[in-house]
Amino acid sequence: MSILNPLRTPGPADAGLPMRAYRSVRGTPARWALYGRITALNFKAQASYRGEFLLGLLFGLVWQGALVLFAGVLLLRFPGLGGWTQGDVLLIAAMRLLSHGGYVAFFPNVSNLSFLVQQGNVDGYLLRPLPLYRQVLLARFPINSLGDLLAGVGVFAVALARLDVAWTPVKALYVAAGIIGGMLVEGSLQTALSIAAFRFTGLATWTAWVDETLSTYGNYPLNVLPGAVRGTLTFGLPLAFIAYLPASIVTGHAGTTGVPAWLAAASPAVGLLLFLAVKAGWYGSVRWYQSPGG
Amino acid sequence: MTLAAIDPPQLQRQSRRQSQRAWRAARVTLLAEFNQWGRVGSVLFMLLARTCLCFWLWQALYRSTSTSAGMNRSQATTYALLGVFYMSFRSVNRWANRDMMVQHMLDGTIAYWFLRPVTPRRYYCVRALGDLAYGGAWAALAYTVCRSTGLIAAPVSAAAGLGAAGSLVLGLAILYYLQQLIDLACFWTVVNFQLVVMYGIVQNVLAGALVPLWFFPGWFVGFDRWLPFQGTLNVPLSLYLGVLPMSGLVRDLALQAGWIALLAVLTALVWRRAGARVTVLGG
Repeated sequence: MSILNPLRTPGPADAGLPMRAYRSVRGTPARWALYGRITALNFKAQASYRGEFLLGLLFGLVWQGALVLFAGVLLLRFPGLGGWTQGDVLLIAAMRLLSHGGYVAFFPNVSNLSFLVQQGNVDGYLLRPLPLYRQVLLARFPINSLGDLLAGVGVFAVALARLDVAWTPVKALYVAAGIIGGMLVEGSLQTALSIAAFRFTGLATWTAWVDETLSTYGNYPLNVLPGAVRGTLTFGLPLAFIAYLPASIVTGHAGTTGVPAWLAAASPAVGLLLFLAVKAGWYGSVRWYQSPGG
Repeated sequence: MTLAAIDPPQLQRQSRRQSQRAWRAARVTLLAEFNQWGRVGSVLFMLLARTCLCFWLWQALYRSTSTSAGMNRSQATTYALLGVFYMSFRSVNRWANRDMMVQHMLDGTIAYWFLRPVTPRRYYCVRALGDLAYGGAWAALAYTVCRSTGLIAAPVSAAAGLGAAGSLVLGLAILYYLQQLIDLACFWTVVNFQLVVMYGIVQNVLAGALVPLWFFPGWFVGFDRWLPFQGTLNVPLSLYLGVLPMSGLVRDLALQAGWIALLAVLTALVWRRAGARVTVLGG
């Protein structure tokens, strides 16, 4: 049945799809209004558990704060990490935090896909007149994102105060593009991982591991690590493209990264291309989906 | 046999026998993990990756200096790697099996905990021991491999090694009670997902699993001394590395035992209250 093909937006010819439902989401403004209503309802649902909601607001701040604390302690105890000044390293941490804040705001439910599959939610998504990926993104309101973004803004302010960089509009725009690119790289990684959720349970440990690895090792100049590890974290698990490489362009350390300068400079584009490729692969993999109901 | 045919003493004996066999529930962890070999492979891969990345990071940090905060490269690397292995004790993922206390609460299956011939508190304990044994096996494997390859240093003396082992056992008991209190919170809050994750972070920071506590400012370490978290990791590792002298071992162990006693009483009280307010969602 064509309605079950999540690769395209269903049309009126789709059998069994109520016309009114389809019309209600046709057109960009109507769609955005619908996304707004879904998000508002998700927000309301989560706010009904007040304690949990407040802890969710705090969670991002505490988790990222702990990792910044880790990075800060190391920076104070081991100054001049890999030839980078404190301000330079803080820029890496700040860009990664802001990228992660963006990721938590838009993509967190991708990493929860295994739970959505397990609870049978995806069966319902396949019957609704909205693209599947978008429905997954809208599954739950990301209350953690506020804390994550706050931590990022705080560290970014400290980094700006300590950085010795001659800012120009181009550099400022590049940093913004780098942050968006970093967000897309993280979103791509978790989206790629979530493909396995169509067939396997127990993916939560992997998504948590990727999150932990990016959060722990994404805050440092990777040139302190051996070449093979650096290569793995650049081309295997492309952590370097999230903050390290774009920050190296801004701070003038591109020559020490071991990556061609043009590739380091193209980090935001790498994020976008990676995301588009992974998203196409994700839709292509929906055919592997196995409903928990058999 | 009908219920009427069973006399009360026979019922009591049967119940006691079933209760004595409750330890068998500890096997659930192992059976669940080995039911999908991919999960075992995942744990192995992640432990290996965490160990390697942690080792290389600390080796790199000490490239420009030989001592920092009174710790040399070998001590800092050993501490950091032992911290990674310690996290393995909590490597069991019950999410996928829908076997966390909060999931039982949401599914309504928490009611079964109160209907079995074992008290829910005992059942929780047996299952937690299964989890700790499984995670401990991974930690022991990683320790053995890293010791034999020289990645981590040996304890400063045999006595320090024994003292650290004893302190680790007490530390795990503290960890068990703290985790239990967090899990029990869902009897009041219904959902406690954020609390569970938040506790994990706070535990790792205050126990010194993320960064050795010696690197923190004095006020932070002084404040942390009044909390139970140090006893779960920092104390055993400090004894292992000789940072805490063996002369203070009895005091350190007594402090840990004190926390265990306090937390045991507290959890017993909380269980009693929790039993009186079981919420079975869906009616």
